[in-house]
Amino acid sequence: MDTPLIVVLVIALALFFDFTNGFHDTANAMATPIATGALRPKVAVALAAVLNLVGAFLSTEVAMTISGGIIKEGPGGVLITPELIFAGLIGAIVWNMITWLLGLPSSSSHALFGGLIGAALVGFGVGAIDFSVVLSKVILPALLAPLTAGLIAYIATKLAYAITRRHDGKPDGRDGFRHAQIFSSSLVALAHGTNDAQKTMGIITLTLVAAGVQAVGSDVQPWVIVTCAVAIALGTYMGGWRIIKTLGTGLTDVKPAQGFAAETATAATILASSHVGFALSTTQVASGSVIGSGLGRRGSKVRWRTAGRIGIGWLMTLPAAGAVGALAAFVALQLGVVGIIIDTVVGVAVIAGIFLWSRRSEVSANNVVSEVADSGRAVKIKRNPKPKKKVKK
Amino acid sequence: MIDWLAFVLVLVSALVGTAVVVSAYSLGIRLLTISGRTPIVTPAEFTDAITIVTPAEIKAAEKRAKKAAKKSPLSEGQKRAALVGAWACFAVSAIAVVYGIYLIVGDHVIKLLGG
Repeated sequence: MDTPLIVVLVIALALFFDFTNGFHDTANAMATPIATGALRPKVAVALAAVLNLVGAFLSTEVAMTISGGIIKEGPGGVLITPELIFAGLIGAIVWNMITWLLGLPSSSSHALFGGLIGAALVGFGVGAIDFSVVLSKVILPALLAPLTAGLIAYIATKLAYAITRRHDGKPDGRDGFRHAQIFSSSLVALAHGTNDAQKTMGIITLTLVAAGVQAVGSDVQPWVIVTCAVAIALGTYMGGWRIIKTLGTGLTDVKPAQGFAAETATAATILASSHVGFALSTTQVASGSVIGSGLGRRGSKVRWRTAGRIGIGWLMTLPAAGAVGALAAFVALQLGVVGIIIDTVVGVAVIAGIFLWSRRSEVSANNVVSEVADSGRAVKIKRNPKPKKKVKK
Repeated sequence: MIDWLAFVLVLVSALVGTAVVVSAYSLGIRLLTISGRTPIVTPAEFTDAITIVTPAEIKAAEKRAKKAAKKSPLSEGQKRAALVGAWACFAVSAIAVVYGIYLIVGDHVIKLLGG
């Protein structure tokens, strides 16, 4: 096997995965400020891109295991070869593209774990996977993340409305939450950059070490940091408009106070979890927050059908990315160089196909929230109905 | 297995942090409104914005706010105190956010500065 070729391919795929991670996750930070009109769509994604770039440069430590213990790596375990990382990345990217096409916010890290697990199953068999780690690092957090964030956002929304409520019908100044939203969503974007870009940096560094290009135990190369930061920022700037649409308008109609409460809950949960070392998925936290804030405001409805679709997407992420990763690994291991080439060609064709398919019903900065806006215009929603006066005695 | 203590720590600290930031900012808005300076922040205009506010509606909102401020039973001194309180609340919420940023990048910045 020609090592340098596969290393170049893995680096290219890892950067592309970083890019899809960026545009998949723009929505986590920027869906609600766009929905409430706190920020224009283009301004919002530009802000998120810059903060992701800054965050990527500031990311403190790069994980030195690819799978975080899910695959038994290192001494006494298996050695994940570049071919398997390659197959795992194909699985992760294809699943990220599919969920983007469907407008589903799903965790990019879970897609990556899924792809790698699938590839490792084909490469080494069931023994290479530590299923207790899968349960404690992937499955339980996937249940806890939305519940935690949802509860916090629910309480925060209740608080925000209770504190600003006026029973005398005078203006309550809740417009003012739009200013706060800019800061709270920026915090989410920054936290995302520090968390997610380093995953790709870790993969590239470990691949370079495995290929003998870089010394064992040495630091991440500067060019790796720069390219990963730029890839995630570019992806973020592209804006996953389909997912922004789902998160910003699909789950519930977000008002400024709700948006602020949801974003603050997201930022606080992510910060607390990465500080304590109990990793939670940004996407799942953000989705939970939006639902929680929808439950917290009187008279707002949560569209559980959309929430259900998102939930099914989460359940599917690990097995679906795993299936694609396993298939890619099977082809690569059976056919060698030819298999890698077949994988690459098919992978590029699938990605191009999904992209072309998406053009049929394009969602962009210009129509990201239009359906809701159209229906709002059609029925002439009476805005800001006066609060009912409290009956005294 | 799962580290439940860590999870409870995450839940409690995130809940307290969020509650502090959101309560402080909300109280700031409340006090700002009491002081007679109701914030009127119009949504950004873009092609398909959900919330659209016409110039006439903005004017009407400003008028309502002014009228409410005029009718306020508070003395000038009380209004001034409310305004100071409002900015104190915004400051608390800003400090909490800065602390959040410090949690994200603090270690790294300290390392960069050679600390």
